[in-house]
Order: sequence, then C-alpha cells, then structure tokens
Amino acid sequence: MRIERRLAQPRWLMLVVPLLSLVVAFVVATVILLATHHPPLHSFRRLFDAAFLANGALTETVVSATPLAFTGLAAAVAFRMNLFNIGAEGQLYAGAITGATMGLLLGGAPSPVTIAVMILAGSAGGALLAAIPGVLRAFFSTNEIITSLMLNYVMALVIDYLIFDSHSYLRETKGFNASVFPQGKQLPDAATWSSWTIHGLVLPLGFLVAIGVAVGLWFLYSRTRFGFEVQVIGDSARAGRYAGMRTRRKILAVMLLSGAVAGLGGASQDGDFRHQLDPRGLTQANYGYTGIVVAALARYNPFAVVVVAFLLGGLQNAGYTLQGADFPNGLVGVLQGLILFCVLGGELFVRYRIRFERRPSTAAPATQ
Amino acid sequence: MTRGRKLALVLPVLAFAGVAVLALGVAAGSARSHKQAATFKAAWIYVGPHDDHGWSQAHDQGRLYVQKHLGSKVETTYKELVPEGPQTCQVIESLVRDGNKLIFATSFGFQDCMVSEAKKHPDVDFEQATGTALSKNLAEYFGAAEDAIYLSGMAAGAASKKGVIGYVVPFAIPEVIRHANAFALGAQATHPGAKVRLIWTNSWLDLSKEKKAAQALVSAGCDVLGQNVDSPATGEFAESKGVPWVGYDSNAQTFAPKQWLTAAIYNWGPYYLRRVKAAMNGTWKSGFYYGSLNDHLVGLAPYGKKVSAKTKRAIAAKKAALMSHKFYEFAGPLHDQSGKLRVKKGQKLSVHQLYAMNWLVKGVIGSPKG
Repeated sequence: MRIERRLAQPRWLMLVVPLLSLVVAFVVATVILLATHHPPLHSFRRLFDAAFLANGALTETVVSATPLAFTGLAAAVAFRMNLFNIGAEGQLYAGAITGATMGLLLGGAPSPVTIAVMILAGSAGGALLAAIPGVLRAFFSTNEIITSLMLNYVMALVIDYLIFDSHSYLRETKGFNASVFPQGKQLPDAATWSSWTIHGLVLPLGFLVAIGVAVGLWFLYSRTRFGFEVQVIGDSARAGRYAGMRTRRKILAVMLLSGAVAGLGGASQDGDFRHQLDPRGLTQANYGYTGIVVAALARYNPFAVVVVAFLLGGLQNAGYTLQGADFPNGLVGVLQGLILFCVLGGELFVRYRIRFERRPSTAAPATQ
Repeated sequence: MTRGRKLALVLPVLAFAGVAVLALGVAAGSARSHKQAATFKAAWIYVGPHDDHGWSQAHDQGRLYVQKHLGSKVETTYKELVPEGPQTCQVIESLVRDGNKLIFATSFGFQDCMVSEAKKHPDVDFEQATGTALSKNLAEYFGAAEDAIYLSGMAAGAASKKGVIGYVVPFAIPEVIRHANAFALGAQATHPGAKVRLIWTNSWLDLSKEKKAAQALVSAGCDVLGQNVDSPATGEFAESKGVPWVGYDSNAQTFAPKQWLTAAIYNWGPYYLRRVKAAMNGTWKSGFYYGSLNDHLVGLAPYGKKVSAKTKRAIAAKKAALMSHKFYEFAGPLHDQSGKLRVKKGQKLSVHQLYAMNWLVKGVIGSPKG
C-alpha cells in the first residue's frame, strides 16, 4: 500500500471527499455518544436544529458567522501568498477601536455617512496594525508569524486599557451603570449598521459586506495581474523576482489587505452587534484564530470561506445549545473537533490517493 | 477496471447513503420533539466552567439544590463558559427555544443580552446576578458578600505575622473594590495596621494569571493570601509555599488542606428555590434582592486547622454583631488610601453607594483604577 500524489484532481472529489469526511465524523461521533450514554440521533438532531433548522436559528448562525467570514478572508488572502498573518485577532481589535471611535466622533452625522466612515476607519485600523509585521517582513525578512501573533497580545492589552484602565474617549463615565462596571460608550443610533429581514432571516450589513469582500478578493486573485503576481510569488518568491515582480511591495500590499479585512470585521462587531467597544466580549471570542481554521477548511477560496464561516458559526451555536447539565461541554468540544479534524484530514484524499498493490505499477509513473 | 476506479464509483453512493440516513434520523427526531413538556424548565448561564470551585460552582450548587428539592417537577440545565456579547444572546435564544421559563444569568457581562431578550420574550422570566437593570420580567439579585468577606479578612489578619496580606483581584470595579475594602477592614480588626496588597488580573477566571499574581504577592512580602477571583489557583500556590490562604465563593479546602483558613461563600440554593417555586405557581415578581448573613445567602466556609480558637471566637462575636446590625464595616469614620476622611462618623454607606464604590480604604496598597 502506498500513498501517491494525484496527477489530476477531479472536480467530483472536491465535493465527495468533504461529504464522506462528514459521514466518517458522524460515525465516530455516534460511537463516542453511545459509549458515553447519550442518544446519538437526538444529539445530532439538536445539533442541526440549533444551527440551521429551528426558528430563528439561521439568524443566530449568521451573527456568529459574520466575524468568522471576515477573519477567514483575512487569513485566506495572506495565506494564499504563503504569508502567514496570524494577527487577524489583533487587527480585528484595532478595527473595532477605530470603527467605534469614528462612530462616536460622527455622533450627529447621517447614518449612511457614519456607516461608510466606520467601514473605512475599521479597515484602516486593521491595515495599519498589519503594516507593522508587513514592513518587518518585506524589508527585514522578520518572521511574520511571530510578529503578527505578538501584536495580538499587545492589542488585547490596549483594548483592555481603553475601557478598564483609563478614562479614554471610548469609555462611558457617566451614569450609575457605568460606575458599576467599566464599559464602552454607547454608539449613536446613526452608527447602527442596517439589516434586512427576509422571511424571518435577519441579514446584517456586515455579512453582506463580507460577501462583497469575498467577490472582490476572488476577482483580484483570479482576474488581475496583481493576483497573478501574488500567487507566483507565493509559489516561488525567487521566480517572481526573476520575472521582475516587486516582491516587497506585494508582501506589504497583501499584509495591508489582510489587515484591512480583519479590521472591517472589528468595525462590523461595533456597528452590527455590540454598539460599543466591548473588550471583554471581543477578547473572549477568539474570532481571529478561528478564522485561520475557516480559511484552511475553505482551501483559501474566498467564496468557500463565507460558506465555511456560515457552517462553523452554526456549529459553534449548536455547541452552546447542546451543552448543559446532561451533556458536558467537553463532549461538545470533542464532537466539534471530530468534525473539523475529519474534514481537514479528508483533504489528504483530494490531493493524494492510496494504491493497494505489491509492486509499484510500471504503467502509472509516480511523479513528485 | 482498477480497484481505485471501482472505489471511486462506490464512494459517492456511500456518501449519499450516509447523508440520507442522517437526514432521516434528523426528520424522525424532529417529529418526536413536538411533544409538550409538563415539567417546569429553568436554566443558568455561567461565565466559567460549572465546576470552577468558585463563583460558577456556587451557582451550580444552587441549581442542584433546586433540582433536589423539586425533583421531577423541574428540569434544570446550565450553559457554561459563555462568552459575553452576541453569543450570550444566542445562548439565551436557544434556552428560550428549549422551553425554559426562568433564566438566571450569573455574570455582569450578560446584562445587555438579558435586557434585550427579556424585552423579546415577555412570557419568560429573567434574573441577572450582580447587575443593575430592572424590568417587568427582569429581576436583579446579589448578596452582601462584603460582610462575610470582612469576617474572612479577620481570619487572614490573625494568621499574618508581618501584617502584609496579598489579595488577588479580578477587575477594578465597585463590586471588587468594596470586597477588597471589607477584606482589609476585617484584617485590620484582628491585626491593627495590617496592609493589603492588591494585584489585578483583569479576568474573573484565569488560572495562570491568578497563580502569577499569587507568586508576585508572596515575593513582595505577603505572608497570607486572599482572593476575589473565581478559581482556587491562588490556594494551590499558597499550599505549595506554606502560606495561609483565604478563598472565595465556594469551599475549596481540598486545594490547600494545610493552609486553608476559611472563605466567604455564597449559598444561592434557598433563593433559587424560592424564585423557581414562585415562577412555577405564577407569583414571580421582578425586584432587587440583596441577600445577607441573616438569610444565609452569604456566610463563612468551615475553618481550617490554622485558625485559632481565639480568632474563631472573635469572628463569631463580629458575625453576631453584624447580624443584629450593631456593627457594620462600612460605617464611619472611614479613611481612604491617602488618609482623607470619606465616611464621617455616624454615617453608613448605602447599598447604592456600595454599588458605585471607587476608592480603597486606608492600608490597601494598589490602585482603584486597576
């Protein structure tokens, strides 16, 4: 038995392998559930119900999916170039800070203006933070994984500082409630991002913007010279340089783009859902790190990122619905982990195939 | 046809079959789900794990108390490790969808979602611990833990030789500030002039930060440790270093069998039972409940071996005085860190003032801003 690389990756495999991986995950999950005395079918039904089927569940899933779509896209953009921006977490905080600041500053402005400025400010905030590891990588060959990761911790401290340890512009200081627990200033109504309701499904502006960003990124990477060059450099930076591509500029540009998308996710948290700068909630949610999983599951394809974010958002919500007095939280984690592990592991079968034979075949040359 | 090809043909069929079986299971399951439950359903939301040996566990003990007393008449559940923000709203939504008619949220950060969900579901009753928002179907509850913390501070003061006590604290908010003040005043009652050194962790529950804080406090010369955070990590460290320890929230004696002094603990069970019963028979009313030593919502955990008989007698006397209102730790004269008189002789701080307390009493080392 040996494993060899597939010469061609047929399209049907792209669909069948993940589906089959899911089936495997559910079979293993069934065994675990039976072993721990939980009814498997009932558990699976609750999982699906909570994520997609129940009344209002889809709306909640979109709420959870929106930040993951942004951080997933942020990761996908950079990873495509083999540029490992692990800093979406911190860039999202940065976007949340700049977005909320602009929302508050523009207190009396008309809503569309405020929202547009918040979007721009959020992107700028994320991009600015990403510029630090970007410049270091492009001009000093510093490992961007380390620098972007470290900045996450820095930003977590900054966002805490703004609300808990200082009387910053973003902190609410008036009123009894604010004296009981430090909190961000409530954003004005004009800074509440619009949402649309279709058959009971509430679509927040942020989610639609994420879809728009996905379309834009797809166009950029598959239809423009910029995208082509980025992918060449990603495959072989040296080949790119020989071909006269400006590697440093591309690294910086992709890093900025990645940061901007993550920052946009932060502004969407302010405008769509939280309506104030919420350090405790944002630092508990781990959107940036989950976004890396989203990007990997989606094979860095922007459209797939949105779909995977949606599925993962559902899975996350389902987890909270499933856990309880009779269903330990650890078991929820096991089920979620199983599903992710099987789907990611199934990847192997898209790119490789297993051959059962005694001797290597003479007909099919195994090329590497 | 090679084996690989055959497999390739079989795979999609298998996949389809698997998905179909799942779908059938789901359909069959949902058909069953529509039967109406006769039992009353109540739920609790925790910010940490239900078995954190601290704050959340105290609430979960209360939930189990309700379940034990009402048996099959109620079905209780909980959601743990719930992040604050939109996820909280989603969790509450799913609890309402599951048919829960009374929902207790046990962290301040859940309040915004409790307010919006209470508005959305007028047929469900909500209770928020440690918060301030009230509406027709949203009640508030908490306890005068400061009284019990004062008593636990007395045990800490008596155990300290140098008169420098470390206190691991989460957030620089009035709740924690009044607890730290009560602790310091208690310590000063048994050890005049005692100092209480604070280290903020900026988290309710963070085992590694709590341990580091404890470490830093001991190296800064503290010979007794206390805490206002949720986990017993401080206690484990205290045990390993032979430093006496005062816990918080739950009885965590097992984590420091030798060094355990006592802890201010919550006993939420009776309150929860009253509220669940009221909701069941339709007499539930919104309101603000501030439990005390008298109604046993707060109290002291059993003493450890290190507490002397003399200290026990002194604490018992103060406890009796507190319960008969002859004594109150937040009665003047009280000075702040800089020595400024904050509460005049003959004055007492009200609960409203306690809820907004933003200054530390004399003898506390640390900033009330975190």
